[in-house]
Amino acid sequence: MPATEFQPSNFLTRISTRRNQITAMDPNHELELEDLELFQRNVSDRFADLLDHPGDGGLLSISWLRKLVDAFLCCEAEFKAVLIMGREPTQLTKPPLDRLMPELLDRAVKALDICNAVSAGVESVRHCQRLAEITVAALENQNPIGDGQVKRARKALGALVASLEEKDHGGSHYKTPERSWSFGRRGAAAAVKDRPTATFRSLSMIVGKNWSAAKQIHAMWANLVAPRGAELNGLALPVYIMNVVMVFVMWALVAAVPCQDRVGLPLHIQIPRQFAWAHSLNGLQEKIGEEWKKKEKKGSAGLLEEMQKMEKLSQGLIEFADGFQFPVEEEGKLEEVAAQVKEMAEVCRRMEEGLVPLQQQIRDVFHQAVRSRSEMMELLEHAGKISQPMM
Amino acid sequence: MESNINSEQAHPDVAKPTDTTTNKDDPPPTVPDSSAAADGNDDASPAPHIHHSRSGHLLDDSSSSGPENGADKDGSASSPDQNGDVSHDPPPPNLDEEIHLTLQTLSPDIDHFLITLSERKMVVSSQETLVGEMEEKKEHDEKQETEDKDEKNEDPISGEKEAGSREHKPDSEEAGPDDEEGKKEEEKEKQICKKRSTILMPEFVEKYVDLVDGKIRDRDSSSDGKGGGGGGKWCLSPDDDALFMEIVNRFSRLASSLNEFRSDPDHAHLVNRIGSIHQRAMSYLEDEFGFLLQEHANQQPVQEPDSAGKSSAKAAETGEGGSPLPESQSKLEEEKESPYPGYSEETVTNLRNIASQMIAGGYESECCQVYMIVRRHALDETLIQSGFEKISIDDVQKMAWENLEREIPIMTSIIKECASVHFPKEHKLVHSVFSNYPSLSISLFSNLSRGILIQFLNFAEGVAMSKRSTEKLFKFLDMYETLRDGFAAIEGLYPEESEGELKTEATTVKGRIGEAAINIFSDLEHSIKNDHGKTPVPGGAVHPLTRYTMNYLKYAFEYKSTLENVFREHSKIERADSTSRPRFEGDSNQAGGGGDQDNNQSPFAGQLARIMDFLDQNLESKSQLYRDVSLCCIFMMNNGRYILQKIKSSPEIHCVMGDPWCRRKSSDLRNYHKGYQRETWSKLLGCLAQEGVQVHGKVSKTVLKERFKNFNIMFDEIHRTQSQWVVSDEQLQSELRVSIAAVVIPAYRAFLGRFSQYFTPGRQYEKYVKYQAEDIENCVEELFEGNASSIARRR
Repeated sequence: MPATEFQPSNFLTRISTRRNQITAMDPNHELELEDLELFQRNVSDRFADLLDHPGDGGLLSISWLRKLVDAFLCCEAEFKAVLIMGREPTQLTKPPLDRLMPELLDRAVKALDICNAVSAGVESVRHCQRLAEITVAALENQNPIGDGQVKRARKALGALVASLEEKDHGGSHYKTPERSWSFGRRGAAAAVKDRPTATFRSLSMIVGKNWSAAKQIHAMWANLVAPRGAELNGLALPVYIMNVVMVFVMWALVAAVPCQDRVGLPLHIQIPRQFAWAHSLNGLQEKIGEEWKKKEKKGSAGLLEEMQKMEKLSQGLIEFADGFQFPVEEEGKLEEVAAQVKEMAEVCRRMEEGLVPLQQQIRDVFHQAVRSRSEMMELLEHAGKISQPMM
Repeated sequence: MESNINSEQAHPDVAKPTDTTTNKDDPPPTVPDSSAAADGNDDASPAPHIHHSRSGHLLDDSSSSGPENGADKDGSASSPDQNGDVSHDPPPPNLDEEIHLTLQTLSPDIDHFLITLSERKMVVSSQETLVGEMEEKKEHDEKQETEDKDEKNEDPISGEKEAGSREHKPDSEEAGPDDEEGKKEEEKEKQICKKRSTILMPEFVEKYVDLVDGKIRDRDSSSDGKGGGGGGKWCLSPDDDALFMEIVNRFSRLASSLNEFRSDPDHAHLVNRIGSIHQRAMSYLEDEFGFLLQEHANQQPVQEPDSAGKSSAKAAETGEGGSPLPESQSKLEEEKESPYPGYSEETVTNLRNIASQMIAGGYESECCQVYMIVRRHALDETLIQSGFEKISIDDVQKMAWENLEREIPIMTSIIKECASVHFPKEHKLVHSVFSNYPSLSISLFSNLSRGILIQFLNFAEGVAMSKRSTEKLFKFLDMYETLRDGFAAIEGLYPEESEGELKTEATTVKGRIGEAAINIFSDLEHSIKNDHGKTPVPGGAVHPLTRYTMNYLKYAFEYKSTLENVFREHSKIERADSTSRPRFEGDSNQAGGGGDQDNNQSPFAGQLARIMDFLDQNLESKSQLYRDVSLCCIFMMNNGRYILQKIKSSPEIHCVMGDPWCRRKSSDLRNYHKGYQRETWSKLLGCLAQEGVQVHGKVSKTVLKERFKNFNIMFDEIHRTQSQWVVSDEQLQSELRVSIAAVVIPAYRAFLGRFSQYFTPGRQYEKYVKYQAEDIENCVEELFEGNASSIARRR
């Protein structure tokens, strides 16, 4: 876990020593409640930090997403500590956990597919990055800018914009690979018209056909009910929190990164406001929801800050390229372009630095989710075996 | 802007290789001239003017110093070129030839120019360090000598120097630095700067640019029209392609060499034009590259390999073992022979050439992008044709086992195919196309394969996560073996330093499947332990649990070495319910099939032994369900016999369980046999004892009557019940009968022989002597038949 700001280890050791004491003495409800409180506070702090200090890139930037994923990994580790460590497995098979646990595990499975889809989405962002890099290479430090460079940049930009505007794919894409890559011979006149070099997004769909990120989020969010009454003092609450955190993080990732079929992604996931830890989550999802509302109409690539910037810069540069005539005399124009190229280069740099680690982190989430799931399954099985009558 | 125009322009130039030699007297190139040329980007009209004014010496040069060179090239390469041009060029052949002459003869000039440009750079840079005009000259001369083209070299250089100084003289208002020695350092530096930023552009450059422009347009546009979708001009004429490549290569060098003059107002337009043409050339190459890649990739799968792939997947689907049919295997073999995924050697050569030119021209990114996209699509297509379907992990969990059971062999056969055919070919292709750029090919290959491998791994992960059940073991193990072998093969295609991530991923998934397999065994163990059925099997026959367990184990032993592996590598050392976990002995010796009940048992053998133990225990407790002790023995014999037979019929299991275990089992069986004999037959034999028959030395008829009556009743009862009992193992059945007959018949015969005479023949005899010895024998033969009909027949 590189660059993790929150180290769950302290929490873990605390809980584990605590638990040892508990099992040594009589199970102490007070202490357990304290652990629960601590868990809630940590969740609350993490997301408050994400809301209040989004970092250099801002909300939904690559670095912010990495922070978000980190926060998730930490919450997950702590959750497992609260839930599992030193606990009698049979506690997990009593109501309401007998119902909540399988639901949680089912959500975790759905999260795995989302991780894969998001990881593929990151791959398509990398594709855009490479096209943007071509643009930058063509136009950077060129004085004067020549026809050749402009044409080269224009070609890459055309492909870039096509990639950015490409709608999310359903599963049927692979039936017609020709569609996305055809070498229609261009007329000499149309040499630099919009002719996407190729679309890459359709390639990277790795989840099953008919799989839809939006539907999965819906399915995860459906019948997620906040605990009430006496349940609030038990394990139902941390399970609920974990569920909410998981759905929220997955939802944010899907919104940020191009993802297989996002049509109908919920704008808003309603988290009850009475919980202290929910404040910052609500704050975050309101902001993201607004962005999504703005963006959804255009149906473009994703809310990822860097992609939005890339899109805007591409439009400007395309305009410049289309109106280009050698030589450009206007100083102002050149400066403007140089600034845009510089910004584009900066976006590329941030992508270069952040995307691979982000992808790796998402893979970490995948592995951690699988591991947790199997550990919990094992516990449940074990509890099941114990409760069976012996011969 | 076609080549005709070019040819017309070319003609006058070539026809006028006159006056010039003394370039020192020549006027410096005029700014308007060159800018005009570049201005007329799209119409080459200015070219002739320039040539009129200035180009002579260059052409002259080439004809004087390098005529052989030019002629040679012309001779070797003109014919294909001619072919290419004739279609466009109606003018008479001599004219046409002159075009070639021009393009051809210009090439050495351009080469030369490039050399001088680079030399100039070197000179300038060396000047910067150890300044000194003389030294510079000296160095210059030396270089020129080595080049063996002194005169020609000197011309552009000195011309350029002069041009530089002259042009800028008016501005600097100083005496030419060339003439006056010992100027201040500062001035020298200024001079250097000027030299760097200015150059005398030989006019042939422009001429050359025109020609190349024409050539590229010609190729580019001629490939436009052809049949809708494309149809590159590539491959139509290899010589022409080679020539074109040479042109592009030279032009790329020219473009990059001249790029530094882009801000020089004298040359900006020319440089811009060159840049534009260069871009067009690169763009054209990019299209051709993509076209060649796609065309062949698209055609090929339909022809042969994927029919093979499909059928092998199908075979795996329908066939039990998942081994492809021999026919499709031979097809696969056939396909294996071609080293590339559907490309001919020639196409690969073309691709390599184009790629090299694109990379040399600075278009590496474009080249790689096209390559990635086309090949990734092609690979996806290949996989889909092999029956590959993307299934989300969520769906894998929800899928009915019958369906998942069908998907797994398809997937394993695809993974095997990828490991043995597709990936090696892909690897070969990328390393051939980018043979000069190993790091590029490595990254392209790993990018290409990564996405696909991740999908395989995700599927495997989904399978490993799916709800466990004993029947899934074998498919899990198939998956395990495929991942192990397949990924080992694929890892071989990666350079060592970059295989890390893949290896970790594969190991992780393998571990999960392995753990699942181990858990399945522990589930089996658990379910044996907890099988508390209260209904005894009728007739003491083999219990279904025995049958199931033994057949399961026997099947599992077809995966023995894999299981040994799995247990060794993925067993968790300790867990809470340690009785149901393998007791893993860290560094125990390989069991090696020693079969001894030593402590150096492999974890898997340990698991097996534990399962057998639990089975024994369970059977013993099940035997208690029979009230009849004899039946209890028969039940134990039946099951024990079944187990022993299964173990003996599988050398592998036998080996693991070992001879001592088998001997012990056999002796148990003998004991049950004895117990049965005792229980059932010793009481009966009591009736036939000689003792007690005589009362006061006289045979008591009453006792005799009693004895015979009892014998008849008991025997009838035994016959009635025990012929319903089941001993399905023929050998055991006959062993039992033989042993029964051996005890009962001689005793009965003797008893009958001795005492039957005491009965009055007739009614009394018949009443008490119900059976002859032969009847007893027949009845014994009817025991353990497991059917009620034999009794009915008798009654």
